[in-house]
Amino acid sequence: MNLEKKTAVSALNFTKKFGDLIAVDNISFSIKQGEIVGLLGPNGAGKTTTIRMITGVFPLNKNAKLKIFDKDIDPSNRSYKINFGIVPEISNAYRDFTVWQNIRFNAKIYGMNKKALQIRGIKLLKTFQLEDKSNKKTKTLSKGLKQRLNFCMALIHNPSILILDEPTAGLDPISVNILRNQIEGFKKEGKSIFLTTHNLSEAQRLCDRILIMNKGRIIADEHPDVLREKFKPQLKILVKFQSKLSQSQLDNFNRVFTFEKQIDDFFIFSSKDPLNDISRLHNFVKKENLQIGKLKFKEPTLEEAFIHIINEDEFK
Amino acid sequence: MMKIEKDYSTLKSKISIIWTLTRKNISLYIKSGPVLIFGLMFPFFLALSWIIGRNIDSIQIFIGILAMTSFFTATAISPVILPIETRENSLERLTSSPVGLLEIIFGIMFASFIYSFFITSSIMIIFILLLNIQIVSISAFLFILVAIILMGFIGSLLGILVSANPTEKTSDVMVMMNLLKFPLLFISGIFIPFESLPLIVLIFSLFSPITFMVDILRFATNENNLFPLIIDI
Repeated sequence: MNLEKKTAVSALNFTKKFGDLIAVDNISFSIKQGEIVGLLGPNGAGKTTTIRMITGVFPLNKNAKLKIFDKDIDPSNRSYKINFGIVPEISNAYRDFTVWQNIRFNAKIYGMNKKALQIRGIKLLKTFQLEDKSNKKTKTLSKGLKQRLNFCMALIHNPSILILDEPTAGLDPISVNILRNQIEGFKKEGKSIFLTTHNLSEAQRLCDRILIMNKGRIIADEHPDVLREKFKPQLKILVKFQSKLSQSQLDNFNRVFTFEKQIDDFFIFSSKDPLNDISRLHNFVKKENLQIGKLKFKEPTLEEAFIHIINEDEFK
Repeated sequence: MMKIEKDYSTLKSKISIIWTLTRKNISLYIKSGPVLIFGLMFPFFLALSWIIGRNIDSIQIFIGILAMTSFFTATAISPVILPIETRENSLERLTSSPVGLLEIIFGIMFASFIYSFFITSSIMIIFILLLNIQIVSISAFLFILVAIILMGFIGSLLGILVSANPTEKTSDVMVMMNLLKFPLLFISGIFIPFESLPLIVLIFSLFSPITFMVDILRFATNENNLFPLIIDI
């Protein structure tokens, strides 16, 4: 039995220009079956354009190739789009349709029969806690409920690849929690998920791999922990002394360590060589006849790693 | 999780998608403001201001109102759908699903046609009974129906053509539509008979679909028609 996971989406040499602006600059990436891949990047990095190229809203450039489950896709044969379930940031459900009418419309577009629609539709309404809202007009729903409806519409035909464009942006914590739990559930079901987000803690919690895009290029493609690991030199050391430092002690401390800030009696400084810095701190404490009250280490967050990568790319 | 395969290239599947889109367009847009204003209220008040205080022959009223209703209703729905769906991002959802551009256009066209056909046919029956209009033969009556059907399709295509220019504002499209609609209406023999039109205007009137509808209606009501029926159709 072949236990190797299939590649659900393989994008090769994607390029998209709008006049002189290169929105997507010859990028290639893949998403494995059952994998959650996060696409991060500042506004205008080319994330949405990339999604639009995969989903066929924008045509592929001549030398671009798209493979779905290892099969070359002919963009003129739109049948491949049935593999996708797309959840946008802003609801695109018909405002004057009820929740159920929107779900039914999507089911019909994908060629589902009445029985399949009933079974799947009711299950999704339950999953996303929208059962009591099924007869409500979409325009009367809150943003969170509309986004849950978007999930129902995207999942009605049970697609194997989910494309989520900032699915939790601006939602209430209850909706965010429901949606994040569901996204983790879809992964367990074996669905492949391509997720764009500005919420880095969300990316860290959900994603198996993160692609960072800037100026149309992919500048990083790693596991979230690996991305953070790469910035280990930026580990932060927080030290609190048992007694208040005199001015001369403070000057000496400043000479030994370049501390960034002081918060609640904690002196915080970045460390490129934590072992060496701890040893220097020990010597400093001994020499100044001080005692350490508390010592903490703060690992770099994905957010810090992200900002560092983008800044590094900007100054290249 | 396996790859799902379904063939969307079969005629059955295309017809099913077009019908789903048509039903959606009818139920969502016939009650929308621009459709009610430009499809019903506008021709109603235009006809009213044309008729009141004038001694116009009942057959002329019948021809004018039927041609105006057909043209206005046929061009009412199609221009509003694309801007509204662009603004609300639902067009993007359709294009990223297995729905083709042609099916989207056909969905708009059929919705527009059905709306125009039902309203114009109802007006026709009401006016035939109210004004006691004599249609010369059953075949002439059938020709009127063919004219209403053709106007329904041509009008909706005109609306789609004008709204093809990407915009999110319905008002942009409606301004363009009215720029086209009013000159067409005034050169098509409704308000001024063909016989009284200057030659140059008569030549321009040949580019208006309303001209040929008016001509068919004149034939059906035993008035003098300008062109042979085959040209009108």
